[in-house]
Parts: sequence; C-alpha cells; structure tokens
Amino acid sequence: MMASNNNNNNHPNSAQNRRLAPLSTPRMIATPNRRATSTEPFSARLSASARRNAAATPHARAAIRALDQRRAALFTPGRTRRRSLREQRETPRDVLRNLSRVLAPGTTTMSSSSSSSSPNKSHGGNSTLPDINDDDFDDDDEFPIERPRFSLPLGPEDDDDDDLKPPRLSGLEDENYTATSIELPRRAWSEAPLGRASLNSARYSDYIGPELQSDDVGIDSGFFPPPALDDDDGGPMTLDEQTMIERLDAEVARRQTLLGRQSDFGPIHLPEPENESTFMMGGVESPARDQTMTGAIEEGVEQDGTEADAPQMYDYDSDGNEPFGVPDLNEDDTNDTGLGEDSRLNETTMLSASRPATQTFEFTARSRSRRGKPGKKISRYGIEYPSLPPSVVKRLATTFAKTAGMRNAKISPDTLDAIMQATDWFFEQLGDDLSAYARHAGRKTIDESDMVTLMRRCVDSQRQTSASTTPFALAQRYLPRELLQEMRMSAPITSKAPRKKSKQSRDGEEGEEEVT
Amino acid sequence: MAPGQKMYPRATVKKIVKAHSKCNVSKNVDVMMFLDYALFMQTLMKEAAIDSKQAGERSISAKSVKKVTADSLAKFKG
Repeated sequence: MMASNNNNNNHPNSAQNRRLAPLSTPRMIATPNRRATSTEPFSARLSASARRNAAATPHARAAIRALDQRRAALFTPGRTRRRSLREQRETPRDVLRNLSRVLAPGTTTMSSSSSSSSPNKSHGGNSTLPDINDDDFDDDDEFPIERPRFSLPLGPEDDDDDDLKPPRLSGLEDENYTATSIELPRRAWSEAPLGRASLNSARYSDYIGPELQSDDVGIDSGFFPPPALDDDDGGPMTLDEQTMIERLDAEVARRQTLLGRQSDFGPIHLPEPENESTFMMGGVESPARDQTMTGAIEEGVEQDGTEADAPQMYDYDSDGNEPFGVPDLNEDDTNDTGLGEDSRLNETTMLSASRPATQTFEFTARSRSRRGKPGKKISRYGIEYPSLPPSVVKRLATTFAKTAGMRNAKISPDTLDAIMQATDWFFEQLGDDLSAYARHAGRKTIDESDMVTLMRRCVDSQRQTSASTTPFALAQRYLPRELLQEMRMSAPITSKAPRKKSKQSRDGEEGEEEVT
Repeated sequence: MAPGQKMYPRATVKKIVKAHSKCNVSKNVDVMMFLDYALFMQTLMKEAAIDSKQAGERSISAKSVKKVTADSLAKFKG
C-alpha cells in the first residue's frame, strides 16, 4: 500500500484512491467485465476513477471494490502483507497442528483393550478405506464404469435401464385400508346433534346406520373412483363401456327393488324409528356421481333396519319420550321430510308391532326446535327406559340457574332440550359406573355403597366440595325432606359403606339438622 | 332456596339406571342417584351460566349448555 501510494502522489485526495493504487501497476490484467464497463482507454488511474463514477449501482461498486482488493492483495509486495498473512494463518487449527508436531515424537500408539477392533487394526490403520479401494479396483479391472447418459430415453426399452427406476409408493400398497379410506366429516362437539347416541360412542361421522367397512371406500367417495371400477383390471386404462352400462343398469334395478325411490338426492330415510335426532346428509353426492354409491348406502340401511339389532346406535334418544306438554308434532315431521313418504311406508312395514309410532329421520336444519315425542329409548342392553320428566328437570335447572347468578333464569325450550340430553347422558354414565362398581364387588345389585363410592370419587376428583362434605349433608341441602328420611333410614343398614364415612355423615347430618 | 322441595319420580330414576346398568337397584339408592343428579345439574347450570355470560347472553342458551355438557359429565364420571 505504501509503495503504491508513492506512485499516486499526484492524486492525494482520497483514501479510496490510495487503496485503489495497485490498479495502476502495469502488470494488471483487465478483466473483460471491466472492459465492458469502462469505455475509457486502459490507463489505470483514469479508468479507476471513471469506473467509480460510472458504476452507479451499489452492486457494481462492490464488485469493483472486491476486484481491487484482490488485486491489491496479489500485487502488494513487502513484508507487511506477508506479516498479515501470517497472522491470518494462525488459526486454532494451526496451533493444534503445531502442538501435534511437538507432541508427535513423544507419543506411542496405544493398543485398545477391545478384541473386536484388533483384526481391523492388523488389517491397516484406516480400516474402512481399503475395502472401498479394493472394490474400486475390482470394478476398474473388470468393467469400466458406465458412462452416465445425459439424454432422456425416448423408447420404452429404456425403461428397464437401471438408472431410471420408476417411482415407487413408499408403504401405501394395496390392501391398505387407511390409504383408501376417507375420513368422513365430523361434527364439532359443541354443535353436536342432540340425539347422539352417547358420549362414549362418538361416531366418526354423521352418517349413521351402515358401517361401510365392508366396502373399502367410504360413502363420500366422490374423490376416488368407486371400487367396482377398480375391479375390472383391464390392462389399458380405457374403461369398458359395456360393462359400465350393464353395471349401472343392474344397480338401478336393484335400487328400485329395494326402495322404489326415484330421487337420488335429498335425505335418506333410515327406517329406525328411534333415531330421529341424527340426520344424514343425503344430498352430499354430486350430480355426476355414480349411482351405485347411493344404492350401496341404501342397501346397507335396509339391512340394518331389517336386522334391527343395533340398539346402541339408536338407543339414546335426545328428546325425551315424555310429553313436553306440547301437542304431538307429527305433522311437523311430515312437513320436514318432504321426500319421506315412501320410506315412511317402508318403515311402518318394518316396524315391530309394539312400536306403532312412526318417527322418521329428519334432515332439516338443527335450528328447528325439537320436542320430545312419545316413545321409549333403548339402553345399551336393550332395555327400554324413560327419561326424567322435563318438568322436574326444568325446575331443577331454573333453581340452579338462579343460584348460578343468571338474572334471567328462564329456560328456553332449546336449552331444556340440551339439558335433557345432558340428563340422559348423565344417567347413562351413572348406570355404567354403578354397574361397574357393583360387578366389581361381585354383586348384581347396585348398592348404596356403590353410590357412595361414586360420589366420593367425584368429590375427590373435582375438589369442588370440601372433603368433609358428605352425601348426607348434600342430601340435606338438595333433596326433599321425605327422601331425607329414607336416606337416614337406609344409611345404617348398608354396612358395606365405609364406617368412617357413615360416622361423618351422621355428624354432618345432625349439624345440618340443627342448622335448619 | 331448597331446590328439592318437591318430589321427583323415584321410579323413573330407578328405571333409567336399571336400564343402563342392567343391574338391580337396591331400595333407596335412587335417592342418592337423584342427589348426584342434582349436583350434576348444579355444576351444569353453573358452567352454562358462566359460558352464557361470557358470550354476552342474557339467559342460558342451549349452545352454552351443550358446550359445557362434556366437561360437567367428565366431572361426574366415577
């Protein structure tokens, strides 16, 4: 730098010029890029300043600066540059290398204690390299390595080239159900229809009835070809039109014999009478859809209906069978399901005589308020059961809503429906739990100890009430008096109830009595 | 404010649980069942009231009841 600065004394104006000085050395090589940018004659000083002015863009400026620096590094003579280079060279790696040079004469090789590595060591210091080299040498000796081909193959005979393997599906081969199955739309819990069977048996879609596990493609197979099309394994991809037409005709005929329904769209009426609160979107299919799918669905529905042995799908009805004090809404039903005439007929023929009340599936929007219709719900064990009368539920709900601080404690019919649904689920869960306890104890009768156990578990788990809260204190608070009498009567009888519990309960009871 | 000043259909409760459990229900257990149910209703209405208030509704709506049903049921799972 300093030497070049001496050459550039006539332009002492800027440090940049001083730094750019090596450009003026006559050995400088002009790059074509630079020639292109600078139209000036190749005189170094002028070209440098002119280029700097001409390079408008910062990129060009940076590139020129880089070039200049490189050249300066090349052509600066003197010890300063060398010294700086030496400083650069002293990286930690160099330090380590120096250390190794110092330490190398004094070190001895250690023999490792493990026996497995000894043959490798006898083979050579670097155990992995010689194998590769041997292979390479063999390849070189026997066949020369094939020259890679840079052109795309034209003919089909090139397909069996080893270099071009056809793409392969990884793991999703045939007979993989999950590859072909479609997850059907699920309903968010908060918007769940009231009549879902139970909490525990959450369905995977709104489609109820036919479990289409036999047909490996689900209902909504508009995205995939129906499986029947895959079955005819003609080599060419063109579909045989004859077979297509035949199959369609056959399906149509079968459908007509099954249901006699003409419309392909709209609701599908399942003939199960109890399940009025789940609804199917029959019109999901697009108009161009193959008709065989609806046929399959309806066929499955028919089979389910005739077998009629799936009570747990249909059992728990949301809407109470108690009359809500509202007149029967059957005419509402007929208005709802305009398409349901023939299916209603079918259903009535299929119904057992014990259940003359015909209730069709409803496909209308859920916003329509549902009222209970007379009819009993069937539990998981096939036992009919009523639900609590809505008046009782409403009274409780109103009271507790007042307690909860709602100013307007009125319960709307929709809310009452939801509460009734929750009530049904609650009693279902209660029955399940109690029966589990009773069977665990080897009983066939649900005892009071089961109930005490259940409530204590609940109290323990939620910690919403203090541990000293006994069922009897709660009963004092929440139950009518005449029932308290019976609880008091029955408490000493159940010896299976924990004694500590019963003592506490008696104490609490007395305390409660004194308070009231 | 005693909520249960009136009677409730005892036989109905007994029938419901009997159908769900396929077990016999001994004599006075339904009282405690109804007590449990009352507690459940209290929880449900409390949660629903909170939810409705958060949603800015004046009375308890069916939507909030549905929303809190699962949690309330899970609280009372034995």
